[in-house]
Amino acid sequence: MSPAGNPRHRKLTESRLLFPVLALALILVFDFFYVPGFFTITNRDGNLYGNLIDILRNGSAVMLLAIGMTFVIATGGVDLSVGAVMAIAASVAAVMMNPVILGTSIGTDIEKFVTDPSFTYSPLWEVILVTLAVSTLCGLWNGLLIAYGRIQAIMATLILMIAGRGIAQLITNGVRIQIFYEPFAYIGNGWLVLPFSLYIVAAVFALAWVLTRRTAIGLFIESVGINATSSYFSGINEKRIKVLAYAFSGFCAGVAGLVASSNIRTSDANNLGWGYELDAILAVAIGGTLTTGGRFSLAASLVGALVMQATTTSILAIGVPAFAVQAIKGFVVVLVLLLYSEQLRALLRKLTSQWGA
Amino acid sequence: MPTSIGGLLSRNKRFVPLAVTIVMLLLAYGFGAYHYAAMREPQVFFNLFRNYPFLLISAVGMTFVIISGGIDLSVSGVVALTTVVVAALLRAGWDAWAVIGFVLAMGTLYGALMGSFITYLKVQPFIATLAGMWIARGMCFFISDDAIPIRDRTFRILARTKILIPGLADPDTKTGAFVSFLVVAAIVVLLVAIYVAHYTRFGRTVYALGGNERSAQLMGLPVQRTKVLVYTISGFCSALAGVTLSISVMSGHGLYASNFEMDVIASVVMGGAPLSGGTGYVFGTLLGVLVNIVIQSIIQFNGQLSSWWTKIVIGALTLMFIGVQSYMLTRKGRAKQRTAARADRSILMRRRRKQVVTIAAAAAVLLVAVRGVNRWVRQATGGGVEAVAVQGEACQDPPLRTLGLTVPTSDGAPVIVFERNGGPRCVGEVFTVFADGRVVADDGKEVREERSTPAEVAQVLAEIDGLGWFSDELYDTWHTRCRECYGYAVTVASQGRVKQVKGVDGGTDAPARYWDAVKAIHGLVRKEKER
Repeated sequence: MSPAGNPRHRKLTESRLLFPVLALALILVFDFFYVPGFFTITNRDGNLYGNLIDILRNGSAVMLLAIGMTFVIATGGVDLSVGAVMAIAASVAAVMMNPVILGTSIGTDIEKFVTDPSFTYSPLWEVILVTLAVSTLCGLWNGLLIAYGRIQAIMATLILMIAGRGIAQLITNGVRIQIFYEPFAYIGNGWLVLPFSLYIVAAVFALAWVLTRRTAIGLFIESVGINATSSYFSGINEKRIKVLAYAFSGFCAGVAGLVASSNIRTSDANNLGWGYELDAILAVAIGGTLTTGGRFSLAASLVGALVMQATTTSILAIGVPAFAVQAIKGFVVVLVLLLYSEQLRALLRKLTSQWGA
Repeated sequence: MPTSIGGLLSRNKRFVPLAVTIVMLLLAYGFGAYHYAAMREPQVFFNLFRNYPFLLISAVGMTFVIISGGIDLSVSGVVALTTVVVAALLRAGWDAWAVIGFVLAMGTLYGALMGSFITYLKVQPFIATLAGMWIARGMCFFISDDAIPIRDRTFRILARTKILIPGLADPDTKTGAFVSFLVVAAIVVLLVAIYVAHYTRFGRTVYALGGNERSAQLMGLPVQRTKVLVYTISGFCSALAGVTLSISVMSGHGLYASNFEMDVIASVVMGGAPLSGGTGYVFGTLLGVLVNIVIQSIIQFNGQLSSWWTKIVIGALTLMFIGVQSYMLTRKGRAKQRTAARADRSILMRRRRKQVVTIAAAAAVLLVAVRGVNRWVRQATGGGVEAVAVQGEACQDPPLRTLGLTVPTSDGAPVIVFERNGGPRCVGEVFTVFADGRVVADDGKEVREERSTPAEVAQVLAEIDGLGWFSDELYDTWHTRCRECYGYAVTVASQGRVKQVKGVDGGTDAPARYWDAVKAIHGLVRKEKER
């Protein structure tokens, strides 16, 4: 029986998860041989720690971004503004919790912010709600410009990418605001056996999965990505789908901003989420979603995000200085692009069919 | 013959975006000159060129890419890599001209490589060039972690040569308005590019490629070769921009020109070349660059406005230009359909109006929102803290003083050495904690000794050990790219084991327990500081 005729084999080679999982496995195999103790997972007070857990935890922001980015890229667009939206979200959250830190005229309760970890200006639910509303609004803005203003996606989101960091700095007045409020810090630093941020990723992923796979929205998104005009003629409101995709991406960026700022206990308008848009786009690309739009797989994008994070963590763990991470990530991306290029795949197919025959 | 303005516009619509840019430039410069007397000096006008020749050179290369319908996000990486390679080779004793030739060849080859990726492997331009940017920027740090100064004589001469402007300068005393040699280089690049874009076969192919790649191919134009060449040109221009940057700052570092590609792209778009490709003028890019520079100068002259206003204003302006451009494009569509049925026309009109309304509303909302946020923040904080912020902008991470320092584990030696530096306030503090409870605080200016209790120190040590400090889980995550965050080097000695872990906040790459350890030590030393 030739492998091409075997339905199981076909299912495997055509699965979107195959390549990203293979890439992740390769990196982990590398770690197995070159990083002593990479796979040790220690149990401290019932919580798990270790390099593998670190990959999951540190990758959670990019995983969240990748979920939203998958929507956007599947419609044939791209969202370069997610890093800036993360910064805006973090700034809004930080200002809501301790606006006093901003002022030169320090209030009487300044001590409280530092000494009392349960002191905050706005309650946590309010902080989260407003932050997510603001970031969804940012995404909505992108979507409206792209769908109704008919500006190219790359340009519209580029504008928010440039202006967004400015706006984030405006909100915090250019100051890095430290967050002492412990319940907020739990979002990115808490542990419930596994890091708490992972549960947030799981929740957002479940939401996205239900949205796309239990309603027709997923199909609509793919159809818009493949051909927006013909989708329009077959009765899909392609503009509304696009707006939805960008708004969801903004929402995901907001969640990622909360996780990241809570993780480092600061809001840093200049650096928070810097370069994350690239990580997210590449995570989606590694996940096999064509950057021109069309079919997508959320799970594959998540694995793609893990590939990016595993690369980073492995490089750091083998003791390569952190500044080299960027270059090595770049090479990994080139490698993945080569793997995905049609030309190379055609060659591979030819080889495997010869080998099978 | 009476003509309406509308008619005039639609007959010369190719030049409308260009005209808008010119009006914009004049308005911005007029505004600056009206408010700030210093901006009226002719030298300030020439300084506009002098400070940013690398922006113009890079933008010229980018113009070709954008006209061809692509995008090159790697420019900032190539510029930074060029400065580092130039500085490193000069330090190694190479001849200045050989170095310049080498880096130009390097940049050109790099561009060609990315171009081939995009052309032959059909990788999306922004992904391929993004990867290119990462690799180039990462390479900088493989060569050198710190800034490398340039002490070459030829480079010094190139940097200091003043070319006086006839009529505005006194040739005898060598005073008055002048431009540097680099500006001349930038102008030459611009002129050559104008010639190439508008008067050669290659230039026309670039336009055809951006207009419609398939038709260009069907017309028998060398599409693939042109596409590779376009990115090659951009790579060359970025390398040249890197050379001019390294001459004007006389050093090379991997952190230079961060986010530079955004400035370049915004300049090209403001110069009237839409990202959809196919139209635009190289000359427009000069105007776009000037608009960009004038706005940055106004914000500098103002002094009150924080630097982030530049980002917001550039963003809003870019949006406005895109609005104008897409308005023109739909106008073109309407002109074509004018002979068609009236119903069609009204639909088109409505659609156009809708689009204009959306973009205008978006721009208005952006400005109103920004103003609102600004006022709200001012109210909430009772005035800004501009001084701190401005200082922060200028702050570069100094090297850690405790780098390479190891703590001997004999009795009486320090058990924790904690250094925190950088940040918005440019601190450089070293705290040395001894087992007997002494804490020596050194902020680079004065050294103070405080006392804690041995029990407290032992407790913190135990806590850090419990966090897995000496396990494989904690490793260096020292990024150098961050400009405003604090750098930490923490050395801990406990029970005969010593380990130093360096990290920078602002990134989330650090292992889970690193910040908990830092926080524990912070509690110990902060108390000492406040006492």
